[in-house]
Parts: sequence; structure tokens; C-alpha cells
Amino acid sequence: MTKKNYISAAICLAVSVAIMIVTSMNFLAARDVPLPEKGPSVTEVKMLSDWFDGLKGTNGDTPVYVLKGEKEGGAALVLGGTHANEVSGYMSAFTFIENAVVEQGTVYVIPYTNHSAMTHNDPGEGNLQYFTLQTKSGERTFRYGSRATNPVDQWPDPDVYIHYPSGQQLSGSETRNINRAYPGRPDGNLTEKMAYGVAELIRAENVGITFDLHEASPEYPVINATVAHQNAMNIASEGCINLLLGGINMALEQSPTNFHGLTHRELGDYTDTMAFLMETANASQGRLRGATTVEQVLGGKDECYLISEGLGMLYVPWDENGHPIEERCGRHLQGIYEYVTAYNNANPDSAIVYSGVPGYSELFLEADPSELGGARLGSFLL
Amino acid sequence: MITIIYRLIVVFVIGLVGWNLFTEKKLTMQLNCAMVLIPLVLRALMIK
Repeated sequence: MTKKNYISAAICLAVSVAIMIVTSMNFLAARDVPLPEKGPSVTEVKMLSDWFDGLKGTNGDTPVYVLKGEKEGGAALVLGGTHANEVSGYMSAFTFIENAVVEQGTVYVIPYTNHSAMTHNDPGEGNLQYFTLQTKSGERTFRYGSRATNPVDQWPDPDVYIHYPSGQQLSGSETRNINRAYPGRPDGNLTEKMAYGVAELIRAENVGITFDLHEASPEYPVINATVAHQNAMNIASEGCINLLLGGINMALEQSPTNFHGLTHRELGDYTDTMAFLMETANASQGRLRGATTVEQVLGGKDECYLISEGLGMLYVPWDENGHPIEERCGRHLQGIYEYVTAYNNANPDSAIVYSGVPGYSELFLEADPSELGGARLGSFLL
Repeated sequence: MITIIYRLIVVFVIGLVGWNLFTEKKLTMQLNCAMVLIPLVLRALMIK
């Protein structure tokens, strides 16, 4: 070993340490997750650990926004960010929190159901880390996270994930997917504890109706769809008909009884809530997509999907206009409204009445095409 | 517990790679070692 070798090794090490510092700052900054502003009906911001203290001090603990009306009524729960890379899920939750005026009953909104998943992303997918929107208060930055819990918080993945309590076997990576972890357990891994916390909230607050907001790739069969537990199918049918009458193409499926761990199955089985899950089409979720860009995530446009549409490979209509974030959030928010209205018709004593939340028309149909892709949605955010 | 064992293994490998960085004569191999150190150190510190 010569002195020259030592010098070159030291230089290499110095460059390496510099890269470590820069990347560390980037990764650590991702743990600072932006929160919604408090809207007119937010009476309290609690933490999920208030219902299950096993989450206290962990990265799985997450804010729960409580929107309480003046009149007594029922309770609803909106879950955004179950999968932290499904943007319309948590942006719909943000929009609800910042706009809703709850007149009767209580609405609980969790913008980041899997908070840990929001603290990292999937660089192997070429995904974004952040995107910005121009809102009423100026430019705000939002995170783009990952489908699964941060491995820093839960590791290692088993080869085979065995769901509790069904014993269903799935790929090992699904052990960090909260939508395969319900109903959860208090002594399980972090993802199971988060799921248990949500179930405990539902049980403690007598939540009558629960919405889990998702996005999926255009080549996924369950798209532009609502999946509901069998106990909720009457309400789901009424709500779905009204969505169709309002011009929203919404499919309705009953939750399969042999696919475990999902909100629409387990929350319906293990709590008294009526469980709904909604899916919209997001180009950035798919395997047939081009480069993941802000235009693709928010504008919902993708050249590769235009080709895929021509080849008949998609389950959702696709043209050069794509499916902008306003259409996707509008579907979710209109869906919540119609299903809650149907719930109120069936349960007048525990009704949940709110107004002020932009729906499909306000967000999408009435928008100028130049506003689509984030500007229109941002105009409804504080 | 398994995470602690894993991190100890990572630290051990960091030591080996660091040793190799300073004993390697070829510059390309030294660069290789320096690159390999980045994810290992970030993992040992549980940053990524």
C-alpha cells in the first residue's frame, strides 16, 4: 500500500461521506409529513394512539381529524393514505378536512392511515417524493409516499405473510401493506398495530360507515369501482345508482369473503361499521406507464396508456385528457356524499349531515380544462 | 432483536469494505468500495 493509494482512498471516502450526508438529509426530511389545515368544522385533532396506546411514540401513530356537528348524530370515518402513493386518497381527505361543514353527527378523517408509508417512497419505481399545489394560502408541498410501511419501521419481511386471524398466505412484502393487515392485533407488527388502532377507533366511536380511498392502475380490473361489505350492499346499491344518475361511471362489487385483510372485508366482519372502499384510475400506479412525472400523477396523462387503450388492455376508458386529480378526488368525494346520503335514509336516527365539500361537478365538470391537473383542486385547499 | 443482529452484520460488512477501500490498489475498486459504503451506512443508521 502506497501513500498514493491512501490519498485516493481518502478522497473516495470523502466523496462517499458527502453523498451520505446529502442523501440522509433528503431521506430524513421525508419524515416531516405535511398536515392538513384545520377547516371550519375541525373541533379536535387527536392521534390514533388515543384509541390504541400501543402506537404511541411510533411512526405508525397518525393524526385523526375530528369534525363534529352541532346536532347529535351518527359517526363516519374517512381513511385517506392507506396506500401513500395513491394521491387522490389522501388529497380527498385533505379536501374534506379543509372544506366540510358538519351540521349533524361526527366525521373522523385520517389523512395518512399508514403514516409510516408516507415517510419514504419507492425510488426503484422512479416515483416522485413531493409535488406542489397553488392553494388559497399560496404554494403548498405534499408528499408522495409508498404503498407499504417504511422498512426502517418494520423489518424484515417474511418470505410468506400469514394474515391474522384467517391464516391466509400472501407474498412476504404484503406484511407491510396495511390493507392486508385488518383487523390487526395489539401485539402484532407495526402495520397490524395500525390496523388494530383503526378498528379500535371504529368500535369505540360507534362509527356507522367507513370509507377507504384508493387508486389503482388502469390495467387493474377493480377500477372506477366501489367494493362494499355484504352488510353495506343495500346502502351501496342506492348510493351507486345515484352516482350513475349523476354521470359518474361507478361499478359496485361485493367484498369477496375469501380475500382477507382488506378494510371492506375485515372492518365489516370485526366491527359494526358499514365498510366501503373506492378506487379511481391513476396512471402512475400502472406497469404499462411511461416516466412518472408530476404531469402524470396530477394531470393523469400518459402517452403509453393511450397506446395501451388502443390495444384493449385497460379497464378504464383512456384518451389524451387522461384522468386528472380533480376527476379522481371528485369521484371519491361525490361517492362519500352519495353513500352517506343513502346511509342517512336507512338510519335517520344516526344521520351524518355535512356540506361545503366540493364534489364531482365543482372539482371536475365545472372546471376549465386549463385548471385540471392540480390548479382546480388547489383552489379548494386552504 | 433480529434488527439489532442485522445492523451488527451491516456494521461488520462496513468494516470489511472500509478495510478493502484502503488496501485496494486499483482506483476503480476503491471507487467501487466507496459507492458500496453509501447504502450500507444509511442502513446501519436506519435512515433508509
